[in-house]
Amino acid sequence: MGEILSNMSIVWTDPWLLFLTAIGTLAGIYVGAIPGLSVTMATSILISFTFKWPVNDALALITGIFMGGVYGGSRTAILLNIPGAPSAIATAIEGYPMAKRGDAGEAIGLTTVMSVIGGFVGIAALAMFAPIISSFAIMFNSRDYLLLGLIGILLVGTLSGESFAKGVFAGALGVLIGMVGLDPMTAEGRFTFGNVSLMGGIPYVAAMIGFFGVAEALVQLHQLDVAVVRQKVDRIIPKLRDVKRYLGLALRTSGIGTIIGALPGTGGDIAALLAYDHAKRSTKNPDVPFGEGCKEGLVAPEAANNAAVGGAYIPMLTLGIPGDAVTAVIIGALFIHGLKPGPLLLVETPHLFWFIVGALMLANICLLVFGLTGIRIFTKIVECPKGVLIPLIIVLSAVGTYAIQNNPVHIYWMLLFGVIGYFMKMYGFQVGPVILGVILGPMMDSNYRRAMLGARGDIGTFFWNFVSHPITLVLSIALIAMLLSQTPLMRWFYRWRAARRHPGS
Amino acid sequence: MSTPSPKRQGERGFSLLLIVFSVTAFWQSYGISGFSGLSTAGVFPMLASATMIVSALCILLQSFSDTNNTAHTAVAIDESNHSVLTLRLVVMLLLISGYLIAMPALGFTLASAAFLFLSFSYLWRKSLAVSLLITVVSVTAVYFIFRKLFQVVLPKGTLLQGLL
Repeated sequence: MGEILSNMSIVWTDPWLLFLTAIGTLAGIYVGAIPGLSVTMATSILISFTFKWPVNDALALITGIFMGGVYGGSRTAILLNIPGAPSAIATAIEGYPMAKRGDAGEAIGLTTVMSVIGGFVGIAALAMFAPIISSFAIMFNSRDYLLLGLIGILLVGTLSGESFAKGVFAGALGVLIGMVGLDPMTAEGRFTFGNVSLMGGIPYVAAMIGFFGVAEALVQLHQLDVAVVRQKVDRIIPKLRDVKRYLGLALRTSGIGTIIGALPGTGGDIAALLAYDHAKRSTKNPDVPFGEGCKEGLVAPEAANNAAVGGAYIPMLTLGIPGDAVTAVIIGALFIHGLKPGPLLLVETPHLFWFIVGALMLANICLLVFGLTGIRIFTKIVECPKGVLIPLIIVLSAVGTYAIQNNPVHIYWMLLFGVIGYFMKMYGFQVGPVILGVILGPMMDSNYRRAMLGARGDIGTFFWNFVSHPITLVLSIALIAMLLSQTPLMRWFYRWRAARRHPGS
Repeated sequence: MSTPSPKRQGERGFSLLLIVFSVTAFWQSYGISGFSGLSTAGVFPMLASATMIVSALCILLQSFSDTNNTAHTAVAIDESNHSVLTLRLVVMLLLISGYLIAMPALGFTLASAAFLFLSFSYLWRKSLAVSLLITVVSVTAVYFIFRKLFQVVLPKGTLLQGLL
C-alpha cells in the first residue's frame, strides 16, 4: 500500500512532472476545444516529440492532454454549437441553447464540475478493477487475444462510421498496413517489394499523423469560410444547489461512461450518447425540455465522457487492447517507450501503473482549475482562423513525423496517408479503425498463428478450441453476436418479431 | 425515377478503386507463401485483403442502393453534395508537396517559412504584411518550442550548409 501511494504521489511531488501534467491538461483543453484540432491529432503529433524523454515525463504530458482534450470539446460545443470532439456531440444539443439564452458561463461551469466528478469515478474504477482484470487476463490464451483484437476493431468500425462495410474495410486496411515488413516469426518479407526501407515496416507514427493530422487538416479546407458566432460568458462558478441536484445523475452516468470506456473499441463518444439517452429516459420532469438547454442533458454526457477516460485505460493497460483511436495512439506511445501494455504490465512494472493513476488524478484537478478560469482568453484563441490553423497543422505534422527517427522518407509516408485519409473521410469512412488495425494487426497475426500452431495446423481443432474453453467461448459469442447484429438477418428477425407482436399491423 | 446522381462526387469510382486495390493486395498476399499452410506468414495478410475485397464489394453495392433513395433524402444530399476534389485542395496539396520536396535542400526553417507564407496568403487572404508577420511569429515559435525546448532534431538544408 505504501509503495502504491508513493508511486501515485511522484507526479504530485516532482515540480517538473507537475508542470508537464498541468501544461498537458491546459493544452488538451485548447486543442480539444479548437474545432479542427482533435485530441487524437494532438496526441499523435506530441508522442513523437516525447520519444526521447524519460517515460514518466512523457506519460505525464500525454495523460494531461487526453484528460483535457476530452473535456475541451464541450467548450466549443456550448459556445459555438460545434463539438470540438465527437464526445461532445450530445453536449452541443443542450449546451448551445443554454448559451443562446445567455447562460454560457453557467453551462461551462456545470460541465467542468461534472466532468471532474466523472473523471474521478473513471480513475477509481481503473485503480480498483485493472489489477483484478489483469490477474484474470493472465489466463487469456492467444485465441482470446485474437478475438479481443477483432472485437475491438469491429466495434470501432461499427459504432462510428457510416456503414458496417466501411468500418470493416478501414480495419482490414489497417491490419494490412501493419503487416508490411519482415514477418517477426519467419523473417519473410511481406509487401516489401525487395525494398530495404520497407523491411522495417511502415512507421505507424507516420500513419497516425497522416490519418489524424494531415487528413483532418485537408478536410477542414471545406470549412474555411464558416463564420464564428460569439457568445456572452459571465458567471462561471456553478451554483452549489445545481451541483447537489445533479450529483446522482452524474454518478450514474459516470458508471455508464466507465463501463463503455472499458469495453474494447468503444470510447467517450459512445459513452456520452448513451448517457444522454439515459438522462432523457430517467428524467421525468425536466425544468426545460430536452433539446432546449436542459441541464440534465448537459451533465450526463459530460460526466460520462470523462469517466470513459479512466475506463479506456483499463483494457489498454491490462490487455494491450486500445479502447478507441486516442488510446490506440497512446498504446503506440507506450510501445515507443519500450513498455508492453498487457497483463504483464501490472506484474512487471506496477510502479508505472500507479504513476499513471496518480497522473490522471492530477490532470483531473488541473481540469477543475483551468476549466473554471481563463475563459476570456479562451474565446479569443478558439477564434483562430482556419486559414492560419491548417498550414500550422501541416508544419507540426511534418516536424512530428520527422522527429521520431529523423528520416525524411517518413514525411512522404505521412503525406500519402494524409491524402488517403482525406478521401476516406470524404467518402464516409472512419480512420480510427485503420489505426486500431495498424496497432492490433501484428498482435492478431502472431496470436492467430500461435493458436493455429497450438491446434497443430488442424482447422477442425482450431475452431473447436474457440468453443471448448469458457473464456474463449464468451468472446466468440460476443463476436458472432456483433457480426449478426450488423447483417440483414437481424433486421429480418426484428421485423418478424414485430409482426408477431402486432399481427394486425 | 430521376436521373441517378451519386451521393458524393466520384463515390462509385472510389469504391471501384478500393476493389482494385484490395484484389491487388490479395494477389500480393498470396505471393508471400501461397496456400502452403495455415500458419504461414501469408495467411493473415490474405485474410485481411479478402475481408477488404468483400467489404469493398458491399460498399459498391450500397452506393447503388443509396441512389435509389435520393428522393427521400433530398435535403441531406444537398448538404453533402460538395465536391471532393476542390481547387483549394489541389493547390494545398501542391504547396505541401513542394514544401516536403524543398525541405532537404532549404532546411526545415526556410522551407516552413516559405510554405506558411504562401499558404497563409492563399487561404487567409489578408495583406501580405500580416501574412509575413504571422509567418515569422509561427516559425520562431515552432523553432524555439521544438528545437530548444523539446530538443527535436529538425531537418537541416544542404543549400546553406546546414546553417538553418
